[in-house]
Amino acid sequence: MGEHLAWPWFWPAVAAGGAAVVALAALVLLAPVYKHIVCLKYLFGGWKAVVPIVSALPAALGVFLLILVFAIMDGFVMETREMTRGTLSDIIVDAHLGGLPYYDDFAERIEQIEGVEAATPVIQTYVIARIKSSGERLKPIVRPCVLIGIRPAEKAKMGRFIEYLGRSREAGPAIPAEHLLDVPPELRAPGRPQRPGAIAGTAVVGVPVTDYVMETVQAGAGRRVLAWFLAAVMTVVALFVWRAQVHRPDRKGWVLATVLCALSAAALVAAAVFAPVHPGRVLRPEVVDYPILARGDDLVVSTIPVRPQGGLEMDPGGVPRVSSRALTLVDTFKSNYWEADSTHVYADFGVVQQMAGMEGDAGRGVPARATQIQVKIRDPAQAQTIVGRIGEAWEAFQAERPDADLPTVSVNTWETQQQMILTIAKVQRNITTLMLGLMFVGFAVLIALISYVMAYIKSRDVGILKAVGASDAGVGSLFLGYGFLIGLVGTALGMVGALLMLHYLDAIEIWVNEALGVDVFPRTMYYFDHIPRHLSPWWCVAVGGAVLVLATLASMVGGLLAAIRQPVETLRYE
Amino acid sequence: MSSQETILRGEGLVKDYRMGPARLRVLHRVDLAVRRGEFLCILGPSGSGKSTLLHLLGLLDRPTAGRVFFEGEDAFARAKRWRDRMRNEAIGFVFQLYYLMPDLSVLENVLLPAMIRTSLAAWPFTRSAERARALEVLNDMGLGHRVRHLPRELSGGERQRVAIARALVHRPRVLFADEPTGNLDSATGEDILRLLVRLNRETQLSIVMVTHDDRLARQADRVLHLRDGKLLQHA
Repeated sequence: MGEHLAWPWFWPAVAAGGAAVVALAALVLLAPVYKHIVCLKYLFGGWKAVVPIVSALPAALGVFLLILVFAIMDGFVMETREMTRGTLSDIIVDAHLGGLPYYDDFAERIEQIEGVEAATPVIQTYVIARIKSSGERLKPIVRPCVLIGIRPAEKAKMGRFIEYLGRSREAGPAIPAEHLLDVPPELRAPGRPQRPGAIAGTAVVGVPVTDYVMETVQAGAGRRVLAWFLAAVMTVVALFVWRAQVHRPDRKGWVLATVLCALSAAALVAAAVFAPVHPGRVLRPEVVDYPILARGDDLVVSTIPVRPQGGLEMDPGGVPRVSSRALTLVDTFKSNYWEADSTHVYADFGVVQQMAGMEGDAGRGVPARATQIQVKIRDPAQAQTIVGRIGEAWEAFQAERPDADLPTVSVNTWETQQQMILTIAKVQRNITTLMLGLMFVGFAVLIALISYVMAYIKSRDVGILKAVGASDAGVGSLFLGYGFLIGLVGTALGMVGALLMLHYLDAIEIWVNEALGVDVFPRTMYYFDHIPRHLSPWWCVAVGGAVLVLATLASMVGGLLAAIRQPVETLRYE
Repeated sequence: MSSQETILRGEGLVKDYRMGPARLRVLHRVDLAVRRGEFLCILGPSGSGKSTLLHLLGLLDRPTAGRVFFEGEDAFARAKRWRDRMRNEAIGFVFQLYYLMPDLSVLENVLLPAMIRTSLAAWPFTRSAERARALEVLNDMGLGHRVRHLPRELSGGERQRVAIARALVHRPRVLFADEPTGNLDSATGEDILRLLVRLNRETQLSIVMVTHDDRLARQADRVLHLRDGKLLQHA
């Protein structure tokens, strides 16, 4: 809700929506009562009521798909956002591979800015990691990775780093943050040299595979939902028809009502038979990283140091100098953000600094370097303001050290830093929404045709109403109300269907997997352990409102025909 | 029976219809007046312009030339809204083919004029009075037991009596009847005619009836003969 309140158009939108509802209520209340009665009779009178209900189905389908697909796509965006956010800090000051000197001084300067909670230097460099299991006779795996040098106690304050660690997920004694990278005594093999500790993504030191876990409760839920939904629809339709038949017996209507009631009863029986009352047990797919390395195993990382000016460190013979180091795996890291889990390796800041050739040389007056400063702020809503202040602080910092040849840095929020991946997800969401939105064009054409045909078929009614004193506009608006009601029925059906589907999505997915033998949502591909979903109430309001407006506008075709038709035309030529 | 006060007057009424590029003149400068409480019959063969004249006098259609005065007001000089209101409050129509709303029950058909002039917000406060009046008229027509039926469930005579009930429920000053017995057998037609005559005598309702049947015309106070769009004589 807080996020919605931050949206600048929130209150104007609420005011506009409120005004629209009040205007609509006034229109309904002040309209002559014949419009409501005739409109409802056209929609729900007798067995012919099935026709407008069927014509509402395209709207229902459109609303259902738009809400469902948008909720899932938005879920992807939101969960990707949350995962990327958790692996980073709120703000990143990035000097890239060339490095940022005097990083501790500048981190201290950043911490003095109002709203900043903490700042820590980080070194990020690209490495080749060689992973070889000590226990099994497997061929070594070589992977490109990102080696990140951190000060564990300071990094623990950034993002959700601590929550993602394997030892944090296990129920055990909490490890003080400053010792996260220490190699515990039980992992030190006698006679083997002491290595620095490392924390690696589960997919760096493992292979993601889809495993199946036994799960209870969910059995038959998909069938139950489907059967209940069908039974509910049938019952509603049957009730309408029966209601009409009680007042106005009609042979065709009785047959239809009996068939519908029989179908509704069959659907209810199906719901009872196919959905077990007692919970069953099913296999539920879940992604797991099959580990190649265990804690205590070594991995070897190799990189080529980069000079402050950006060039590579070379041997005297002109060959790039490769810096390699063996590290002992002390923990694993799993954020569910594939990029991080499959490439990130964390090691001590000093170790990485040395490997990357950024340790400096006090004798020659070369300062040590880091590649980033990560910043934690108190109020995420202030991020952009603080980004500006850090930029100003860097300019002042540069001005104080005119001879230091300080590099240009980029200061970004985590969101801007990950803009590419978030933009891709958003673009996919928007394109899909747009494509599905085109369905409504078809719906609008259908409503326009239905309202035209209705106005044509009911032209005698139009003549009668005008002869008895109804105005042209009044009779025309009767057909607008007709379109509006079709849109309302469609919106209600579609929305209820979409909400049910979203609620039971996991159960339905399992059922479809079982029934059709397909993997609807491969976990290894998306790296989510469930189908993500995020439903904004505003989106529901927008979709429902759009359908109602569209239905009303489209039914203007019939409304205009009815309004301009002279009563004598229809009464004379009957 | 009728007073000398004129309730309705047509002056120089002309009506043309377009038939492709040609114009067909259906009425040629017709002048007539209807007195309050009068039963006027316009007699003429099919195609003589009777219904057209009735539609002009009943404010359903606009004349090509000429004027219609309703209770002294030049009806087509007034706004359309005024004419709509007059049709709703002061005029009643009975047609040869009944013209009942097929989706509405008998009672709802009779309540139609009230439902047109009352908003949804006001309906809860006026509904019971309007319903009582509609039931009173329907009982008077001998249809008290048919109020929940649809028009298609009624006989021709019953449908026409529902149409008359709808035309009378709002106590109009003028009733226009267009061949009201034309679609009925002779016995039922006579019943309907007797009903119209009784209403005219008892309530001083002005009735303008058009027909091609001179036996019906004998019941009227006055008969006008229309032929080829021209009034021939006063009887």
